[in-house]
Amino acid sequence: MAELNETIHQTVRLRIMAALVTLEPKDEVDFTYLRDLLDVTDGNLGAHLRKLEEAGYITVNKIFVERKPRTYVSATGEGRRVFQEHVTALETILKSK
Amino acid sequence: MNITPTEAEENLAAIQTTMRKFRHSVASGGSYITLIVTGVVWLIGFLSTQFTPGISAYVWTAGSILGTILGIILGFRMGKRVRSPATAPMVKRIALFWLLLIFFAIAAIAIARPADGKQATILIVLFLMLGQSAMGLLFSFSSVWWVLPITALALIGYFLFPGIFYLWMGVLGGGGMIAIGLYIHSRW
Repeated sequence: MAELNETIHQTVRLRIMAALVTLEPKDEVDFTYLRDLLDVTDGNLGAHLRKLEEAGYITVNKIFVERKPRTYVSATGEGRRVFQEHVTALETILKSK
Repeated sequence: MNITPTEAEENLAAIQTTMRKFRHSVASGGSYITLIVTGVVWLIGFLSTQFTPGISAYVWTAGSILGTILGIILGFRMGKRVRSPATAPMVKRIALFWLLLIFFAIAAIAIARPADGKQATILIVLFLMLGQSAMGLLFSFSSVWWVLPITALALIGYFLFPGIFYLWMGVLGGGGMIAIGLYIHSRW
């Protein structure tokens, strides 16, 4: 039976994962674009991304584009799997209503 | 970890909203820029054709060159939002598609020999909208819907209001594109 994931359950992290899993598996999203879409601050997003990265659910890729540093984020295979499991668990709880 | 069914429902709703917003934003990222830039070029170009036909060729040439450069620069900047390993071959295919479409449009117009500028204009508009439809269908349905009202407006202007066709195309076609582009930008 699918179980809720405590790391993903937090509201901002849940929305981060929801956004990242909509991308194709090897696609990455720009940090500032993700921040604007989720309407959170740099610090807030950075802190939640660190938690997700530590859990192995996302990868954070820092690169230089035209000599400017840019941060790109993507969901790992494990991240996609646990997110789907979390969604299944939520649906199961809702059906038991 | 236990939560109530109401909390589960709220979480699922938050997931759906985020996914929908993200998909729309990524899919429409380039389309609103294309719409606004093309709309401005149409607005200025068609108004010039209607009111100052003597210099309209220069206005169209300058507008098209500036619009293309601006569209490429802004499109390139938007492309940095999402990095995809599959993008590079797609860009080449898209460029080839547009080159082929331009070739077919020139061939079709040369064969059809339009009787006047209005016929040539509506043929060019139809080929452009065909290209935009293909792009929309290739990437997402959400970025193709605007092609139909703009094409319908162009055809209505051509068949029902030939006397003010260029004015019609400038204000409603160009203005409509700008309005739709701004709507997409503000909505998503």
